[in-house]
Amino acid sequence: MTGPFRTPYPGYDVLDKWDSPSYDDATREVLRARTTPPPRRFLSEARFAVLAALCDTVIPQPRARPVQIAPFLNAALHDDRGTGTRFAVMPPDRDAWPLGLDAIDAEAKAHHDGTGFADLARPERTLVLKEIDAERLRAPDAWQDMPAQKFFRALVLKQIAQFYYSQPAAMSEIGYGGPASPRGYVRLNAQGIDPWEAPYGQWKETDA
Amino acid sequence: MTQGRISELLVRETGRPVGGKGMSLIVATAGLGFLAAGLAARRPSGGPHTPSATSPRKREALRLSRDGAAIMGSSVLLDSGMEHLRGDYRRDAMYAAPLAGAASMAASMAEPRTGSPGKLIEGVHVGAVATGMAGMGFHLGNVLRRPGGLSWDNLFYAAPLGAPGALIMSGLIGMATHRMARSSGQERRHGRQLAALSAGAMLAETAEVALLHYRGAYHDPAMYLPVTLPPMAAAGLLLEAARPRRRRRGPLRLLLRGVEALGYIGTAFHALGVARNSGGWRNWRQTTMAGPPMPAPISFAGLGKSGRAALDLLDIADDRLGEDSK
Amino acid sequence: MTRPIGRRAAEAETDPRAVNGCAPDVFSRDGTVPMREFPESEEVDFVIVGAGCGGSVLAAKLAEAGMSVVLFDAGPFFRPLSDFASDEYEQEKLYWLDPRVSDGDDPIELGANNSGQAVGGSTVHFQMVSLRFRPEWFKSRTKLGYARDWPVDWQEMWKYYAEVENALKISGPIRYPWGPKRGRYPYRAHEVNEAGLVLARGAEALGVDWAPTPLCTVSAPRGKSPPCAYRGMCKIGCSVNAKQSMLITYVPRAIRAGAEVRDLAMVGRVETGQDGRATGVSYHRGGEWRHQKARNVVLAGYSIETPRLMLNSATSRHPQGLGNSNGMVGRNLMVHSNHAVWGEFEDEIRWYKGPPSMATCEHWNYVDDDPTKDFDGGYSFMSQGPLPGDFAGTLTGATGMFGDELLTAMGKYNRMAGLKIVGETMPAPDNRVTLADESDPLGLPRARVTYAFSDNDKRLQRHSLDFMSKMLGAAGGRNLLETSSTAHLMGGCAMGDDPETSVTDDMGRSWDIDNLWICDGSLMPTAGGVNPAMTILANAARIADRIVAARNG
Repeated sequence: MTGPFRTPYPGYDVLDKWDSPSYDDATREVLRARTTPPPRRFLSEARFAVLAALCDTVIPQPRARPVQIAPFLNAALHDDRGTGTRFAVMPPDRDAWPLGLDAIDAEAKAHHDGTGFADLARPERTLVLKEIDAERLRAPDAWQDMPAQKFFRALVLKQIAQFYYSQPAAMSEIGYGGPASPRGYVRLNAQGIDPWEAPYGQWKETDA
Repeated sequence: MTQGRISELLVRETGRPVGGKGMSLIVATAGLGFLAAGLAARRPSGGPHTPSATSPRKREALRLSRDGAAIMGSSVLLDSGMEHLRGDYRRDAMYAAPLAGAASMAASMAEPRTGSPGKLIEGVHVGAVATGMAGMGFHLGNVLRRPGGLSWDNLFYAAPLGAPGALIMSGLIGMATHRMARSSGQERRHGRQLAALSAGAMLAETAEVALLHYRGAYHDPAMYLPVTLPPMAAAGLLLEAARPRRRRRGPLRLLLRGVEALGYIGTAFHALGVARNSGGWRNWRQTTMAGPPMPAPISFAGLGKSGRAALDLLDIADDRLGEDSK
Repeated sequence: MTRPIGRRAAEAETDPRAVNGCAPDVFSRDGTVPMREFPESEEVDFVIVGAGCGGSVLAAKLAEAGMSVVLFDAGPFFRPLSDFASDEYEQEKLYWLDPRVSDGDDPIELGANNSGQAVGGSTVHFQMVSLRFRPEWFKSRTKLGYARDWPVDWQEMWKYYAEVENALKISGPIRYPWGPKRGRYPYRAHEVNEAGLVLARGAEALGVDWAPTPLCTVSAPRGKSPPCAYRGMCKIGCSVNAKQSMLITYVPRAIRAGAEVRDLAMVGRVETGQDGRATGVSYHRGGEWRHQKARNVVLAGYSIETPRLMLNSATSRHPQGLGNSNGMVGRNLMVHSNHAVWGEFEDEIRWYKGPPSMATCEHWNYVDDDPTKDFDGGYSFMSQGPLPGDFAGTLTGATGMFGDELLTAMGKYNRMAGLKIVGETMPAPDNRVTLADESDPLGLPRARVTYAFSDNDKRLQRHSLDFMSKMLGAAGGRNLLETSSTAHLMGGCAMGDDPETSVTDDMGRSWDIDNLWICDGSLMPTAGGVNPAMTILANAARIADRIVAARNG
């Protein structure tokens, strides 16, 4: 078990480069639009609450303005955006998600005397998800033949993590360069970093 | 990774390598300072340290050569200033190159002197040559340390082996010119020496350009100019060094003016090249470093001048011969 | 999937742009270039379905030879300079996101992994690794004792590699360490980034060769293309036009030569006449089904869409689908094993700078008699530089990690380096594309992709993971993590010398229908251990010359 994550790049924010040649109009337009999360349309309120709790468990964000993830995943389902793949063992995405969210909620209730997933604290939610990832199911019927680990990794984790790590706040906390067009990078070797990149990270003795 | 003290200090303080600070430090203070010093020393003082033996014509010819050496020094100042900034002045020794270039520029601009000022000037030139040689050693070390060793890719992208050569040439030409100014007559010998020196420098410079323009895939036909014109001029100069012939000098002088012009035109071409990089001049912090080096071509202007100075000296010698035989 | 996917230039995804005698000028922000258009009632010489590696090259070369060509693509016609954002989520608009059903013992991932949907095809988002097949692979059955032979001689293919490498000004090393001598690449290799130097140091420690990867992005200006700016977002589309994708090379060339491009035009069916020959295509564009007449139809939709279209075009005369009397359409589909080893390093590598794969090692493609080599075929591997979202997906998929564990692992992003293979897999008839019993929004049956690795494939994967672990460790990597994935598609409509076991002859002509052709990666009889783009391009250039020669002859 790891402790809470602390960024090695405190104070670095890719958005500080907003007006620099690292950003072009296309990127600014896309990021500006993303500051307004789309309305809830596809999932019911109850399922959306499970999804939001799921996002909060997969990506804990102890920051004043957390990156909104759930509304975008919900909108992608509403728009039938797709990912290009539907595993034969899984129902189509628009069926898999409601089914899976219900199943996760059922697992939580089975673990915690009827308390739903959204109402659990993060450590309990984490344990429920670890059990699901290990396919140790307490409410197997709720999954209706959908492989739990596959749903959890291929849909839940992948989509939440991929979405989060393409947002500026996530880029900043890992010291990634962020948007880069038309300006890219000059210094490609470890000995050098460009003035518009993150400063060297602050690594604890144990990791360095 | 070996790191210089200055670099370490900056990283400790700011979490970053030297960044833009090194450039302003070097160019603004050293560059301008030396420029001022050079300009001040440029006035013929008529004081006690003025070499009395030189004729006015020879002095003019040598001044042309000194201008050439000074231009080369300034090219080294700006070029190594920029390239070492790209290397974040990781080692303290990297400051030596632009400083030596600036000093060499000032020393070349200065009117030749005798006595201790003369020794100072010559000391600066010797220092430039020594710095250039040490730089070549460092650069070779840098190439060999990288994976691949002495490979094409490292010749292209590691520390350039040929670049410190410009500093050596600037020092050598400056030194030679200064020495020549201190003796009267001997224009023929001096002319031949300077012709040989300029030719050698031109060929070395051409080799460097050939490598870098090859790296740029000769994507523009104009990129062939600096690898064709200078070797032709160098060949002419070598002929003059071996067997001076007056009738050759007219066309050769034209060719050398062409080489000189190439220095200025090349700078303009490189500025256009910078504009053709992603983001163009608006993205200058990347493109001036990633694009073709703006200060590099100007060293051809310096070499064109010193080549012409050699021819002027040979003319003087021929004229004197003519007068003597009358 | 329902377009628009993207926010920026959403209209490009909903309204065709190549209309009214104009096509988008890909080197401008909003300009156009003149484009010839053909009436639907005119029987054009060639309809080509798919504007990727195969279709774009063929369209350009046939149009230049004076033939009338209409090039269809299901995707949008983007202008990279104004339409592409530095944003992974936005740029999913480059991928084929309509689901394919993925089945089998080792179901593969499609979409971003291997399928583009835009004019320019997968080259709009490929990572530009531009390698050639090893000569022996064109006769791997005869010379190396596995899989099957190509109906083509390696020297002919190498001639066409040189042609397309020059057309795309590939930036590569002056001396390539493996295989027979090849001329130097048209442009110089790029400076190798730190992630690539990790591979180089590892290779030198283990005593194997390495090379700067030949890349399809220019290292010096070329026409209106600036040199690569090393922004590292090649996989989500090059917004500065340094990448020499089909979109900015062969497609404009085709338009200049008089070809018409129809974007956002999904071909749903190849029409055939009473004599069984192709008469044209039915396609969906601008909200309605339309029809284009043609003397010849070329399918260039890649290994899923080409077989899908052939199967979807079944008639009473071609009950198993077009060109499928022997049942070979859709079979012998191959992928590349894309297994990787990742490690943490002392220094900050910052692998996001530069194209993702700047150094490569083809050692195991060219070694046959090493005692540890316990598999047929070969693999190359390259240094890595995944974007954060992409890497997060890799980590979670492989480990199931989440929460602070995931945040902490991702926090080391700047200190990671990795090596990833392009590993040859064996063709197997049961790895195939069939039609699913569900339909896409246009009512066309979707593709079902069935895939399983062979034992040989698994031995190759194990070997590569062990070797790369050793190498990454030798370069200073710690806490190594192995991951498995797949990339690329090859085969599905193999060309061959034998009408019983292949779909087309050596020039891509269907054995069954003499005016139905295939020109894309689905023709590949074997996968080879290198990225397929250059091979598809070279083969397309070769087929184009054969078609022109046949017409003139």
